Amino acid sequence: MVSMLDVDKIRADFNIFNKKDGVTPIYLDSGCMSLKPDVVVEAMNDYYFNYPACAGRSSHKLGDKVTKKVKEARELIAKFINAKDENEIIFTRNTTEGLNLLAYSLGLQKGDVVLISNKEHNSNLIPWLLLRDRIGIVVKIIPSNEDGSFNLDNFSKMINGVKLVSIVHTSNVDGVTNPVKEIIEIAHKNNSLVCLDAAQSIPHKKIDVQDLDVDFLAFSGHKMLGPTGTGVFYGKYKLLEKLAPFMVGGDTVEFSTYDSYKMLPIPDKFEAGLQNYAGIIGFGEAVKYLNQFDFKDIAEHELKLNTYITEELQKISKIKIMGPKDPKYRSGIINFYIDGIDMHKFAIMFDEMANIEIRSGQHCVHSYFADKKIYNSARVSLYLYNTMKEAEAFITNLNKIIKIL
Amino acid sequence: MPCIIALIVFGIMGIFSASHRALAKEAFICVFRRITFRPCNTNFQEKVKGKILSKIINRSTFLAKMVNKHYEILSWIFFILMLGSTFYVLRGGYNFYIYGSCNGLNASGFCAFDPSGGNNKTTAIGDSSTCGITQKTEQTVTLNNINLSSFPTQNISSKDTIVFIGCYACDYSRKAYPDIQKLVKDKQTNYIFAHYPAKGDTTFLADAGYCVYKDYPDKYWEFNDYLFSADKNYVLNKANLNEILGKFSFDVKKIDECANSVETKIAVENQVKELNKTGLYGTPTIFINGKAFVGPKPYRVYRVPLNKFIFF
Repeated sequence: MVSMLDVDKIRADFNIFNKKDGVTPIYLDSGCMSLKPDVVVEAMNDYYFNYPACAGRSSHKLGDKVTKKVKEARELIAKFINAKDENEIIFTRNTTEGLNLLAYSLGLQKGDVVLISNKEHNSNLIPWLLLRDRIGIVVKIIPSNEDGSFNLDNFSKMINGVKLVSIVHTSNVDGVTNPVKEIIEIAHKNNSLVCLDAAQSIPHKKIDVQDLDVDFLAFSGHKMLGPTGTGVFYGKYKLLEKLAPFMVGGDTVEFSTYDSYKMLPIPDKFEAGLQNYAGIIGFGEAVKYLNQFDFKDIAEHELKLNTYITEELQKISKIKIMGPKDPKYRSGIINFYIDGIDMHKFAIMFDEMANIEIRSGQHCVHSYFADKKIYNSARVSLYLYNTMKEAEAFITNLNKIIKIL
Repeated sequence: MPCIIALIVFGIMGIFSASHRALAKEAFICVFRRITFRPCNTNFQEKVKGKILSKIINRSTFLAKMVNKHYEILSWIFFILMLGSTFYVLRGGYNFYIYGSCNGLNASGFCAFDPSGGNNKTTAIGDSSTCGITQKTEQTVTLNNINLSSFPTQNISSKDTIVFIGCYACDYSRKAYPDIQKLVKDKQTNYIFAHYPAKGDTTFLADAGYCVYKDYPDKYWEFNDYLFSADKNYVLNKANLNEILGKFSFDVKKIDECANSVETKIAVENQVKELNKTGLYGTPTIFINGKAFVGPKPYRVYRVPLNKFIFF
């Protein structure tokens, strides 16, 4: 397996890898937050330094420039996911906000069924449970296979009468990518809508919303080289038009009187108040940066590193890897645990011993951990800037830690 | 157990640093949960353990393994040690405030608050060449059965009495002397001064002092103050004595004759013999209401026995 990515060249684009003073971290926590290439930070700085004005409101040169840049970012992102219309892109703060937007805008009624998988992030679980408690919707959970892979049979059996399937695309727990094309097909046959949580998938694989025929899609900028506090909620134009706005106020209405208002069309009616313009512009820059790569190369690179780490972990009998044994089903994620050991200690030791940053805990998927009776885990999540040398350093230090247990 | 240690340590550090305050809060939650028989849920214990192990593992895997394996026992040991050391630190602090030494009154062991041992330095009796920390062990120094009637006395019928035994040639006596004068003045105590020739030849000054007190009791204290405050080399030079006496308009000839008389020599010798009965082992030795303070203590130490309460 030969990676087509020039990782050294990529790393040259990230200030964090090129500091002349200080220690370069071995960053293996991109599943939580990706690093940012310099171009993203520079684009944001450019906004703050040179045209820190409002978009869509002010009729001056600075305002016009912001409006133009935000529009450019929206177009770039629309093209990135192959949306039919740039107005199908609604800027949010993150995936969580996008999913909440859907939950509160869809107009679900008592008795409506929402189907989710058993590995949903709290962002795609709690909003539905809250609606269950508030208005009496029914939340059903699709059990996965023993190895964490999606069980289409279970899904097919449960789809009848479902109003919405809201499901994770790639799990942040075990990296398993669900067969969303089949899921959407089955759901649509049953007249169910489908929303995908693409937070973990979109940084690593090409998503074509038209090809998938997905109704709604939510993802974050911060996991795909973009700034924090940025996200997108995509919806098919006609569906978005039907949704009631989630949050209203400034820049969501065409006009208002003391007792009436006229909402603006999408996307404006969903983007209430002054937006994170610097973030949106940086997000656009991140997408531009990612566009230079072929996602197959990114996936191949991650698989190479994942395969090495998986093979080394499998040599240690105590370690249990969450999800399928074969790394090719786990994207860039290797989530592992040892029975009876608090994995927070592992993460701290990696950091203290060798500046290796990994994530520990239940990764905001407490429900799955509780169900599987796993106390917590340590997660390595890879991205295009990670190297084999870093993977080796991780294994070297892991072996040291294992020796003292 | 590490939570309790951490709570104390980070609690103190948290007074000065916000980041340590957050750690102290985590430790507190952890301690609270443990004492209410619930597991600690802040990961605090694992965080601390992880940090400790990662420091050790790069030096010795074996040691890290042992620490990891026996972490709870080691934590208890360190906790008990911490309690012990906390007790000693508090006791040391108390002793230092009250006695000027962490180890107690006149105890000359190492004290972190007074690393040079300055508060216990004396001119050792019998060593006529040096001033320094006495090599003798602490003894019971007492005024019991000591006749101080022949020594210069300011008696104002106070219930408090200070006895200063010092030597004009001893730097530590010279250091303590002004504090004692101030204390006598501030607290209006009875005061007895006794010269003890601990270092060099100072007997001629004791003899002269004896005669000055006999003939000029009112001016004696001014004269004595001068002997402790003027340049030591000048004062200790016998050739300058007459000049010094002249400064105070004493009858130099008369004092001279008195100082050289056999009666004076015997009286001064008897005074030294009487002082030896106290068991003193160095100068300055200051008795405050009968309690001996050996060495130049901070002013507050001398004041404590005269205060109604410890601090005032």
